[in-house]
Amino acid sequence: MSRRLRLALFWAAAVVFAVAFTAACTGLPDFGTLSHPYGSRAIAAAFHQRTANTISSVNFDQRAFDTLGEESILFAAVLGGLVLLRRARDERLAGVRRGRVLPSTRMFGSLLLPITLVTGVYIVAHGQLSPGGGFQGGVILATGLHLAYIAADYGVLKAIRPLAVLDAADAVGAGAFAVLGLVGLAVGAAYLQNVLPLGTFGQLSSGGLVPVINAAVGVEVGSGVVVLLAGFLDQAVEIVSPTGKDNGAGR
Amino acid sequence: MSTADLLPLAIAIPLIGAAFSALVGSRLPRVATDLLVTVWAAAGVADLVVLWLRTGDGRAVSWLGGWRLRHGESVGIVLVNDRIGIGLALLTAVLVLAVIAYSWRYFDEPPAEHAGTFPALILLFDAGMCGFALTGDLFNAFVFFELMGAVAYALTGFRIEDPRPLQGALTFGVINSLAAYGSLLGIGLLYARTGELGFAQISQKLTGHRADALLLTAFVLVLTGPLVKGAVAPFHFWLPDAHAVAPTPVCMLLSGVMVELGVYGAARIYWIVFSGPHGIPQHVFHDTFVAAGVLTALVGAVMCWKQRNLKRMLAFSTVSHVGMFLVGLALLTPEATAGTALYVAGHAGAKAALFGVTGALLDRFGSVDEHSLYGRGRELPVGGVLFVLGGLALAGLPPFGTALGKAVAEHAAQSHSPWLLAVFVLASAATGAAVLRAALRVFAGAGRRPLDRHEVPETTGGGEEPEIRGPSRRVPLPMLAVPALLLAGSLAVGLLPAVSTQLAQAARLFTDRVGYVAAVYGHSHAAGMPPAADWTAEGIALGLTSVALAVAFACAALWAAPRGGGAHRVVAPLRRLHSGHMGDYVGWLIVGVAVLLVAVRAQL
Repeated sequence: MSRRLRLALFWAAAVVFAVAFTAACTGLPDFGTLSHPYGSRAIAAAFHQRTANTISSVNFDQRAFDTLGEESILFAAVLGGLVLLRRARDERLAGVRRGRVLPSTRMFGSLLLPITLVTGVYIVAHGQLSPGGGFQGGVILATGLHLAYIAADYGVLKAIRPLAVLDAADAVGAGAFAVLGLVGLAVGAAYLQNVLPLGTFGQLSSGGLVPVINAAVGVEVGSGVVVLLAGFLDQAVEIVSPTGKDNGAGR
Repeated sequence: MSTADLLPLAIAIPLIGAAFSALVGSRLPRVATDLLVTVWAAAGVADLVVLWLRTGDGRAVSWLGGWRLRHGESVGIVLVNDRIGIGLALLTAVLVLAVIAYSWRYFDEPPAEHAGTFPALILLFDAGMCGFALTGDLFNAFVFFELMGAVAYALTGFRIEDPRPLQGALTFGVINSLAAYGSLLGIGLLYARTGELGFAQISQKLTGHRADALLLTAFVLVLTGPLVKGAVAPFHFWLPDAHAVAPTPVCMLLSGVMVELGVYGAARIYWIVFSGPHGIPQHVFHDTFVAAGVLTALVGAVMCWKQRNLKRMLAFSTVSHVGMFLVGLALLTPEATAGTALYVAGHAGAKAALFGVTGALLDRFGSVDEHSLYGRGRELPVGGVLFVLGGLALAGLPPFGTALGKAVAEHAAQSHSPWLLAVFVLASAATGAAVLRAALRVFAGAGRRPLDRHEVPETTGGGEEPEIRGPSRRVPLPMLAVPALLLAGSLAVGLLPAVSTQLAQAARLFTDRVGYVAAVYGHSHAAGMPPAADWTAEGIALGLTSVALAVAFACAALWAAPRGGGAHRVVAPLRRLHSGHMGDYVGWLIVGVAVLLVAVRAQL
């Protein structure tokens, strides 16, 4: 197809789509009404399960099976990333050049790195109480570690990034979610049923299975994102293609 | 353990297996990992076999997390299925087991430090497909749809040394992701209207609304994802590009069951969510998707015939067959549904076997080009026999399962519109003929040596890297034993009367929206009579006709004098449409959506 024909076809179809979607949106419920069929039920259920953060209750209790699937998508993405970003037979490793960093940047980095990691753990641990949880906290943990790359250089990041351990942690976290579901079956309840003691509403130990799954997801997301970023960073910084061109991203 | 618990276990077992394989794969010797993964896949099969037996001629229902209905409402997810969905999950698990056995000696060079990655991805693929087949919840179906997508893109691009797999995987990923966005938009519209995500629950709430623009748009958008996964024209362009380059074991799964799951999803969602009162009327779904299916079957058949890259040929044959499956499901009768289910099962065995033998060719000769392989397959006589049998099964030779399924579907189609019979016979004959032609050329050196002339730019399939490198030049045993077993499976689908009667019962449940909703809500509901799904003299005659046509086509291609002319002028533009240009494919995607929107609107 020529470029013109392609664009003409696309725009003609896009107009039809836009008209249909706009017409569909006129059938949606109005903003600001008091009727929230699922929301009301989910909040009631979250109260019943003594989980202060309703979102976490939906994600890790009421519709935990969806989250199991989503977490498996991340696990698959990490494994797929490892496969696609592996070093090909004709690629070779080049040494990492040392970077030069302003002393102030280095200081802020060293200061913020531990603070960020603690924040990440906090967000994971308080998922059942306040906004956050395993996914959000895990991403904070993973990106916090990369402050070392910004504030120092790739060598330092590699030194504080135990990839083999994180690789294993990623798999353990992913498997743990599916295994935790079996607890319900073991005591004669349903798969992924929240059968642990629910604790006191608003306490760190409340929510039963929710904080446990949150922790598993936090481990999986935190380590998975580091492993995935390591694949991309290795490609950008360390691996040289057979044409011999340095990608120029190494610092 | 109750029957209901077996439903989530069918998904949890491969998920845990995947994590385990990724964890220990690099720490154990290859043999141990292979053995472990095989045991795991077998456990998945065992779980589904027990589920199949225990479900019987009813439905299995499992409320996850114990969030059952209270006062007719639930906040949770329900897995609910009859033997159609359970059978598809079982088919998936069996194919995964076959693929794992086939790959025992495959991939001698996996990512060295991540040796367990390939089996882990295969098990995740297994979980995604089983989840999609078993769920009774629209958003949950979307999640598993995405899981199988994410895994499939990575597996398609597995051989990174070659730019072609990466290109194929990228096209596959972009087109399927765009379609998934469409589905998600549609799910959002339905959720906004009903506050529900379960198939049955949405369906119940929708009966209180009239069929308006929201329903129509949501219907088309939700179905876009499954239809793209199911490679229905004009959404099929990604499929041959991905199949031609994916590792052979992955092709066995993609063609054998993943594409079929797309069509299954479309039919299931229509039946339960949209076919109720004030929904999308049956004649609209029927007319629209019979037309789409016929188009797909014919485009796939013509393109299949014109290929010389064996993997691309098999990929287009899948497109053609999926078109016939769509026609069968869109007829919306229990009989046609039963026929399609049998057809899918028989086709999976035959198609996976054909890909398996092609993998052996690729391993041995580093090529999947019909022309350059001319006569070289003589040293692989077993492969030749299997390839010919696979071609005959595709064409519909009784007593293969493909022939039985096709005959039952044809019988249902015939009472509806007799011309559909011609489509079924021609499409199956053309795809079978292409395979027979290739088999005779490659394994017997029949006909003239093909000339290397290029009428249009085409994918030859030469210059491929063998997927295995080993010191031995012998083809590993599993690479021929597994295809033989798969063909035997296809034969068993046709020969075992229990399979067809049980699938006929299941087809009756599949087409019973009221019964499905009653099962979810815990009411009792009397089911109707199952359709007949047996061999008939007429069905056998039709199957033999297809096979005779296929043999005639293949012989004509090999020995008749080449003629240019009219046919070429029709086919060349069609081939040029399959340009490999991602922009074109995105264009066709949105054009397809727009056409569906207009077509459905016009019929309401």
